[in-house]
Amino acid sequence: MLTIIDASRMDDVLAWRGSVPVSAAQFLGEAAALAASLPDAAAALNLCEDRYLFMLAFVAIALRGQINLLPPSAAPEMIGRIAAAHPGCYLVGDRTHAEAPCPVLVLPESTKAFPARESPRIAAGATVAIAYTSGSTGAPQAHAKTWGTLVATARLAAARLFDSAVGINVVGTVPSQHMYGLELTMSLALAAGCRSSSARPFFAQDIADALAAVPEPRLLVTTPLHLRACVAASVKFPRVAAIVSATAPLSAQRAAEAEARFDAPVYEIYGCTEAGSLATRRSVLGDIWQLHEGTRLRADADGSVIHAAHLPEPLPLQDRVEAIDEQRFRLLGRGDDLVKVGGKRASLSELTARLLAVPGVEDAIVFLPPVDGDAEQRPAALVVAPRLSRAAILARLAQSLDPVLLPRPLIRLERLPRNELGKLSRATLLAALGSHIER
Amino acid sequence: MASGVVIEKTAVELELAALLVQALNLEDRDAAAIDPVAPLFGHDQSGLGLDSIDALEIALAIQQKYGVELRSDDADTKTIFSSLRELCAHVQSRRR
Repeated sequence: MLTIIDASRMDDVLAWRGSVPVSAAQFLGEAAALAASLPDAAAALNLCEDRYLFMLAFVAIALRGQINLLPPSAAPEMIGRIAAAHPGCYLVGDRTHAEAPCPVLVLPESTKAFPARESPRIAAGATVAIAYTSGSTGAPQAHAKTWGTLVATARLAAARLFDSAVGINVVGTVPSQHMYGLELTMSLALAAGCRSSSARPFFAQDIADALAAVPEPRLLVTTPLHLRACVAASVKFPRVAAIVSATAPLSAQRAAEAEARFDAPVYEIYGCTEAGSLATRRSVLGDIWQLHEGTRLRADADGSVIHAAHLPEPLPLQDRVEAIDEQRFRLLGRGDDLVKVGGKRASLSELTARLLAVPGVEDAIVFLPPVDGDAEQRPAALVVAPRLSRAAILARLAQSLDPVLLPRPLIRLERLPRNELGKLSRATLLAALGSHIER
Repeated sequence: MASGVVIEKTAVELELAALLVQALNLEDRDAAAIDPVAPLFGHDQSGLGLDSIDALEIALAIQQKYGVELRSDDADTKTIFSSLRELCAHVQSRRR
């Protein structure tokens, strides 16, 4: 059994609601009160956007022996699919979810409770959350997380970033339901002594405001997209001790710009939904990733496999890597079928299958055209659908896909440029795409 | 466009529409054909179908062209981003 908060930290600040501090004891008191009021169920969708309410709901759900289901998006079909896989589940949110196919519990702004005297415990082997990746068939693939793995991973990541993470104030721009956001905001606070801001800032000015609301030392947990916005913005940022970026590669140039803008080191985190964070690097110092302590990379007939004591089983990597030694590697590229936009992962064959499943679509292909420089790489689509408008096809896809994964552009053709074997070559796809964009 | 009729845009709205098409790589869209009162986000067929990544790109482009920083707690972000017309009105009101 592991305590949620170390006994020595009960009176310390655990979180910031805006600029108001909340002690660990107060948080645990509120979590126990919320846990007592939750319905009986095996699992609950945790869709809170406010990070404090998310963490409160997360711990309360775990204290009841229930599982936090963490949908990668709040799209109604995604919620529906996950709810259907967990009969009897309910949804906890900080706003209404009218289309949810299960009971919805909207958390109040504040929960009245006495501070806890001691921290409750959760079994290290208890499954406390399920995170999701998109599978090749379109159904979300579940990845169960035990309390012990979440705690261990957060501590390993913290040890790579700081000599001591205790007292670091964390502001994150990534959703708590994403493994990276979960680990680098909530888990850092619960397991590594950090203090998590409730804010979920979006624009550069929001990020500056959220940072200013908490004291130093500050850690900004963000993405290459947000960093680019910050570098270009005419906003004055408060001082930060460090920045971490994940969800997409950060170019050395953008990392250098961000380091200059914030006068702080920028670290990238490499990880995946299956395992959480695995490795770090300071991007301006080179392209070599350093695995967490106790984590080893081994080559295997089919590729590279990660071995670590804190992971339930060896993990085959989906990316192609070049091992330098057991602890260090270079990233060579993604598997050919993988696409990642705004932190959302999908396979091109899955996106193609979804497009083909739209009634009225006769033929279709989704592929990745090359992009200029730092622009976000979006999947493009060529579609044969004589009786459907482009907007109608996209509207149908939007029911089941995160908006960032919708093909752009989506171009309707009379037929796809298939060769005599029925195959599509990359060159003909790009040519078809180019000729339609120029028009 | 669902109705087939596009409401006429002002010169500043047309300029902003051109900025969006350029900033978001919407090469398959014609700035002149963007309906100024249609929703920018979402896919209900009349909208432009933008997403959260686009919102950051839009903020960046607007900051660079007009010197206006967008923020989430401004009046009401949902209203500001509800249409080209609302976005344009907000940017114009904040221009120095």
